[in-house]
Amino acid sequence: MSEEKKEIAQDIHTSEEDKNRRDFMKDMGAAALAGAAALLTNSDDAEATSTWAEFFQKNYRLMTEEEKKDAILRLEQRYSEEYGKTVTVDGAPPMKDVLFGYALNIQKCIGCRRCVYACVKENNQSRNNPEIQWIRVIRMEKGNFSTENMDKGYPAGEGDQTYTNKDYGIQVGGNAYINAGVTLEGQHYYQPEQVPEKDAFYFPIQCMQCEKPPCVKVCPVRTTYREPDGIVVIDYNWCIGCRMCISACPYWARRFNWGDPNLPAQEMNPKTHYLGNRPRMRGVAEKCTFCLQRTRQGRYTACVEVCPVGARKFGNLLDPGSEVRKILDRKRVFRLKADLNTYPKFFYFID
Amino acid sequence: MKNANLTKISIGAVGCLLLVGLISYKLGYSQNPEPPKPKEQQNEQPVTDCFESREGYTSVTRVENAVPQYGYPNVKCSQTTGGVLWWGNPYDGTIPMGEMPAINDAARGDYATEEAVVKPREPQLKYFNLSPDQHCAFCHNGKIVPFPKDKKPRLLAAHQDIVENSLQLMHGRGAFWCLDCHSATNRNKLIDHQGNEISFNQPQRLCGKCHGGVYIDWRMGIHGKRIGSWIKGGKKRWWVCTECHNPHTVQINRFNPIKPEPAPALPRGTQNAVPEAAHGNVSHKESFSTPPANPSTGH
Repeated sequence: MSEEKKEIAQDIHTSEEDKNRRDFMKDMGAAALAGAAALLTNSDDAEATSTWAEFFQKNYRLMTEEEKKDAILRLEQRYSEEYGKTVTVDGAPPMKDVLFGYALNIQKCIGCRRCVYACVKENNQSRNNPEIQWIRVIRMEKGNFSTENMDKGYPAGEGDQTYTNKDYGIQVGGNAYINAGVTLEGQHYYQPEQVPEKDAFYFPIQCMQCEKPPCVKVCPVRTTYREPDGIVVIDYNWCIGCRMCISACPYWARRFNWGDPNLPAQEMNPKTHYLGNRPRMRGVAEKCTFCLQRTRQGRYTACVEVCPVGARKFGNLLDPGSEVRKILDRKRVFRLKADLNTYPKFFYFID
Repeated sequence: MKNANLTKISIGAVGCLLLVGLISYKLGYSQNPEPPKPKEQQNEQPVTDCFESREGYTSVTRVENAVPQYGYPNVKCSQTTGGVLWWGNPYDGTIPMGEMPAINDAARGDYATEEAVVKPREPQLKYFNLSPDQHCAFCHNGKIVPFPKDKKPRLLAAHQDIVENSLQLMHGRGAFWCLDCHSATNRNKLIDHQGNEISFNQPQRLCGKCHGGVYIDWRMGIHGKRIGSWIKGGKKRWWVCTECHNPHTVQINRFNPIKPEPAPALPRGTQNAVPEAAHGNVSHKESFSTPPANPSTGH
C-alpha cells in the first residue's frame, strides 16, 4: 500500500527535471556502448585495441601458441610506441635439460652493490618513486663480544649494583642481543667511503627460485608459477596485486609497484621477455627471474657479469661440468633458511 | 510504461558503469605514451670514461649503438665510480686466450675446449707500445740497464709513472723481487721460474706456478670472473689474474677497496637509517633509548 503510494507520488512529481535526468542516462548508456564498440572494432588507436585485448587475455600458461603470439605482438607494438624504439618481447620457452642454479661466494662479496644496479639496468625496474631493486645487499657485523658485558645480563649478576636480588645468577648474558653473523638483521643503508669495511661482511639476497616456492602456493590467481627450468615467473597481466606472494616469501625477494613505474625511455632495455623484464604496470608484483631474457639465450645474468670480485656463479644444475655443479661438489655450501623446506636453487658458499 | 522506463534507466546505468570502468581502467592501467622523467635523471649524462675491472687498469670508452640490433651501447657505467655495470657486447675488444697447459683431469673439468677470450693487456701498457728503439726491452735487455748484484728487494725509484706504489712493492712478504716475474733480458715479457717467457696477456700462466690451488679453481670457473655465455663450451670472456689483483700490492689488499654504489631509498616516512644501524651493535636497552652517535659506521 505504502509503496504504491510512493510510486504514485513519484509519478506525480515527474517533472522536466526528472525527464532530463532520464535522457541523460539514456545518452550515457549509448555513449558507453559506442565507446565499447570503438574499442572492440579495429580502431586506429593501437593502444586502445591492445589494452582492451590485453585486459581480456588468458593466463599466459593457458594460452595457445597462437594466443601467446598475439599477446606478444600486442605488447611489442605498445611498448615500441611508448618508448619510441623497437622493443622485442621474447616468449622463449625453457631450454631442454636445463635447470638453472646460482652460487654466491659469501666470502668474496665486498658489498659494492654493483649487482643491484646492473640488475636495474637490465630488468627495467622503476627507477624512483617507487624505487624497485630486486637484489638487496645486507651489511652484517662480525662478532663483537666484550669482557665488560660478561656479568651485565639479567637477572643481575655479581657486578651489577642496580639490582638487589642477585640470587638467580645470570641467565641472559650481557653479550646477548649482539648480533653477529647471518642474522639478516643487518643494515641495508650502509654508505661508507669504501667497501669492504674491516668489521663487516656482506650478504646479498634475491629470489632463490625455490623448488618449493611459497609464493606460488599462495597466489590466488596462479599467475606466478614455476617453469620447468626452475625459474619462478609472473604473468604480470594476470596479477591482481593482492601481495600475498610478498608476505609469503621468506627471502623478501618480491617487490610491488605501488605507483606507476618510472622508467625513462632512454634507459629502457628494449630486449625483453614476456615473463621477465618487460615493463610492468602499477599494482603488480615482480622479482628476479635470473634474467631469463638473457639466460634462455645462453648469456650470463647481469649480476654475474658485473660482480667485480667474481663472487657470483651461474649455470645448469643438470650438467656435472657446469660451474655451479663444481661448486656444489667441492665447496662448503649452504642454503638460506633451509629449515623452511623451500629448497632454493640459490646457494651460498665459502672457499 | 513505468517498467520500460526503469529498464531503460538500468541499461543506461549498466552502460554508464561500463564506461566509468573502462575510463578508470585505462587511466590507471595503461602508461602514458611518454612516461614523466625525473629531473635529476634527465640531466644525468651517461658516463663515457669507464674502467672494467680495477680502477686504472682496463679503461673502456662508451660507444653508443655498438649493438645495433637493440641499440645497445658497448657498456653502461656507474655514475658513482665509472665502473662498468653492464655489457652490451661482452666480447668487445677481446682476443683468444691462447694456448693453456692441459690439466688432463676430466673430474676437474678441463675447459680446454671452451672458446675463451681475454681483454689483451699489452695495448694498455705505456712503454711497451713505443717503437722498438724506445720500448721496455730496448733498455732492459740485460746489458744497458745493469743487472742488479743481488736479489734483495729494494725501492724502485724509476718508473713511478707506470708502476703503482713502486716505492713499496709488496708481493710475497719480502721473498720476491721484480725479476722473479719480469724478464731481465727482455722486459717486454714476463718470465716464470723455469725461464719461459710469458706474454703480459697471459699472466695466469705465471701466477699459477705458485698459486696452484686458486689457479685450478680459476680454470674450473669457481674462482674469478667470466662474462658471456654460461653454456658449457660457449664463448666466454675470462678475467685474468691481474685484472682483479694488483700483483705489486697484493700483500696489502688482495682486492683493492672500492666506493660502493648508492644505498637504496629509505622507506617512505623514514628520515634516516639510525634504527637499523643500531642492529647488532648495542644492547637492546641502549638501542631503544639512545641511538648510536655515528650511524654511518654502525658504531
